[in-house]
Amino acid sequence: MADKLLDAKGLNCPMPILRAKKALKDVPLGGTLHVIATDPGAVKDFEAFCRATGNELLESKAQDKVFDFLIRRTS
Amino acid sequence: MAANPLYILLASGEHEKLQMAAMMASVGAVSERPVEMFVSMNALLAFEKDLPAERRYQGGKFSKVLKEKRAPDALTLLRQGKELGDLKLWACSMALDMEGWELDRFEDGLFDGARGLTKFLSDAETGQFISL
Repeated sequence: MADKLLDAKGLNCPMPILRAKKALKDVPLGGTLHVIATDPGAVKDFEAFCRATGNELLESKAQDKVFDFLIRRTS
Repeated sequence: MAANPLYILLASGEHEKLQMAAMMASVGAVSERPVEMFVSMNALLAFEKDLPAERRYQGGKFSKVLKEKRAPDALTLLRQGKELGDLKLWACSMALDMEGWELDRFEDGLFDGARGLTKFLSDAETGQFISL
């Protein structure tokens, strides 16, 4: 169970990333954020976002055009 | 990680270019890159206060698509970039001078001030430069 859930389904690029950045502020250091998105670019975008911000992408799952990401806040 | 700063020069008033600039600026800012955006020429018209959306955002085929699909509002993206990261906007001092405009002509909470092109270009030497 993640510390926080962000439902970004239906949001166009770049809103899921902006919302995730905002939501991470409410996650304690070492805690996790679960993001659900449907933007087709989200898989590569979340990989790049985590690499750029130094946060850890623990899980990336795709099912029926819905993407789930689990991000550990490390910065 | 010390990120390479991003410098965006926006002169076009086309909705599509403003949208692209706002997307790049906000994504750059939340990716922890310092971003500066220099706004001049027709691009300034889109930042005027209290415009209805159909006058603020004028463009071609893709502008219609952006409106129909309710793409995030460009000025809202810029506000979010400022809130969540290090994003600064500068209004071109030459354009303001020619029109006799002050910064209070533009939407609140976006511009950090007015600057000249020479200063912006000089700062941009240290980063990645994109013009639209």
